[in-house]
Amino acid sequence: MQQREEKQLEASVDSLISRVAHVKNALHSFIYKLENEYERLTWPSVLDNFALLSGQLNTINKLLKNEKTPSFRNQVIIPLLLSPDRDEDLAKLTEQRVPVFSHEIVPDYLRTKPDPEVEEQEKQLSAEAARIGPEVAQKQIQTLNKLCSNLLEKLNNPRDDRDAESAAIRQNKPSFNPADTNALVGAVAFGKGLSKCRPPGPVAPGHPGQGPMMSGGPTLQQVTIGGGSAQQAGMGGSVAQQPQGQPGKMPSSIKTNIKSASGSMHPYNR
Amino acid sequence: MEAPPVTVMPVTGGTINMMEYLLQGSVLDQSLESLLHRLRGLCDNMEPESFIDHELVYLLKGQQGNPFILRARRSLSHPTSPWHLRYLGQPEVGDKSRHALVRNCVDVAASHSLPEFLNEMGFRMDHEFVANGHIFRKGAMKIVVSKLSRILVPGNTDNTERLSLSYLVELSVLAPAGQDTVSEDMRSFAEQLKPLVHLEKIDPSKQRH
Repeated sequence: MQQREEKQLEASVDSLISRVAHVKNALHSFIYKLENEYERLTWPSVLDNFALLSGQLNTINKLLKNEKTPSFRNQVIIPLLLSPDRDEDLAKLTEQRVPVFSHEIVPDYLRTKPDPEVEEQEKQLSAEAARIGPEVAQKQIQTLNKLCSNLLEKLNNPRDDRDAESAAIRQNKPSFNPADTNALVGAVAFGKGLSKCRPPGPVAPGHPGQGPMMSGGPTLQQVTIGGGSAQQAGMGGSVAQQPQGQPGKMPSSIKTNIKSASGSMHPYNR
Repeated sequence: MEAPPVTVMPVTGGTINMMEYLLQGSVLDQSLESLLHRLRGLCDNMEPESFIDHELVYLLKGQQGNPFILRARRSLSHPTSPWHLRYLGQPEVGDKSRHALVRNCVDVAASHSLPEFLNEMGFRMDHEFVANGHIFRKGAMKIVVSKLSRILVPGNTDNTERLSLSYLVELSVLAPAGQDTVSEDMRSFAEQLKPLVHLEKIDPSKQRH
């Protein structure tokens, strides 16, 4: 019976030592990274390190809770020999961290009670907890549980909610206006809205078929070629020649009808 | 558009029938920055070029219905560059599945006496505007984001007034006739600009009203 317990104790202590060694290595590499590579360190890799440490602590906890593990509380460690001399074996074992097994290190390394400050705080907290009474405590516990479960739900069902919200936000801020598109295309394609004389605006739909604008001239002359079908708006300056299908050729005979401005042929009719 | 695009094929007499494939859209002023950032990422790595151009559209009216339209463009940011004269034909009414507007396109450079020359030839200036914006390139595709302004006093390009609160976005490719893969590439590029701006084939004749 004793032997089995002893064997169990030994085995659990060994596995505990190996787990703690893992944690130590992880901490060591993490600290190294933080001290030397902090410029290149990204938040996700820091999170990874923390996750690793937390996982290792979890395994230690599981190990301790394991039923095969004897309760360590029942074991007592008593230092048998304290000496201020340097102990080489101990130094090697602890990687030069504990070179001397002396009176100074015993309170820290063999401590079983919490620190005095921590003990004070714990006493205060338990006094406070006893003061508020069981019903209030229960209510506080319930509210905390509710908040946590709400948060967990929100975090666990993100996809539908987030998509609906982001779609709504996107719709509220359109980045283009189709009416503007049409207006701009019209302007570039055939000068819609680019009238030369004020007021600017799209071509009056009453104007027969064509959208030509006058070129600046304030003359009120309307020039029509004899037999010409369409009405032409006054050309700027002097009498213009109507090109006769062969540009550059001066037509020899131009019949011009100079009409005074009447209601239907107002030059500003746009 | 300062320099006409360089064609790779040698011009050995006659003309190469170049077609312009075009997709247009617009973007509101407040979203312009995000669009420029996206374009800077998507397009070829070069300093984004900005331009200020003054375009005049000349009409030659024949006796038959449709007037002949020529577009003359000069750079206000580089006043000594040659003028750019462009003819754009009617959009090809091909199969409806083609994703871009396709029209015949002829580009030439011209000297600074172009407006007088066109006037002598019988053309009359129909309208003019100032386009101010940025130009990006991705391979053969050219993306122009420009702000159009109307000219209040004819001939005075300093006194301008914005046409709308949006910028015009145009995606165009100049390619010889018959290359339909071009419109596929344009469409996949246009997909990458959604939902900031919807580039689509806008038939100009439908915009007359």
